[in-house]
Amino acid sequence: MKMIRAFIRPEKEQEVVQALEGAGFPSLTKMPVFGRGKQKGLQVGPIHYDELPKMLVMLVVNDSDVDKVTKLMMDKSRTGFVGDGKIFISPVEAAYTVRTGEAVL
Amino acid sequence: MKEITAIIRRDKLPETKKVLEDLGFPSLSIQSVDGRGKQRGMVCNNDLDPDLPDSYCTPAKLKKTPATYALEHALPTVALFVPKRMLTMVVPDDLVGKIVKSLIKLNQTGKTGDGKIFVSPIENAIRVRTSETGGEAIA
Repeated sequence: MKMIRAFIRPEKEQEVVQALEGAGFPSLTKMPVFGRGKQKGLQVGPIHYDELPKMLVMLVVNDSDVDKVTKLMMDKSRTGFVGDGKIFISPVEAAYTVRTGEAVL
Repeated sequence: MKEITAIIRRDKLPETKKVLEDLGFPSLSIQSVDGRGKQRGMVCNNDLDPDLPDSYCTPAKLKKTPATYALEHALPTVALFVPKRMLTMVVPDDLVGKIVKSLIKLNQTGKTGDGKIFVSPIENAIRVRTSETGGEAIA
């Protein structure tokens, strides 16, 4: 299993969530975060925004679905401008469903 | 070292913290998150109204504000999310089973929406104050 953490534009979140739901991945967790990238924030005229609001979408999927999910997220959240975000993938050794106590995703 | 990420009900948090503390794991991070599972944000099988059948599902309550009202009507469908608490803690390998077991025991209500627990490997940990690394940093 792998955990996918995607930092995406807040305005693209609904689109990404619905695309994932359509592809059979309805389960996810999201949280609002603030961050910056290589560009050190955003400069608009004299105003410098050091940290920009992003939405962190987190989901755990089976190894075989990682490519599918990341591709889908990239397609839906890409605008082509800086600030589209990043996707990180990390290993998960076990997942438990609290209701049943079983070690299944 | 392993990282335990538990996504649990909001009202179970104080009890969970207390029990973890009694077990000897007072250190954890807590975050408010919104989540959904297989039920796609629907609250199923809840015990709010005992007269409702077990199969009854309802959308999670959205607070009615002009913004959510506009959102509901502007989009064809709105993805529903349920507010949850996410706990993150880094613990030694041999104690993972014990903690996961007590987390499950505490947070189990048998109704959908009890949450998930994920266990993932952590390569290293550093205590900022003393620069200790590895097991000493989380002891």
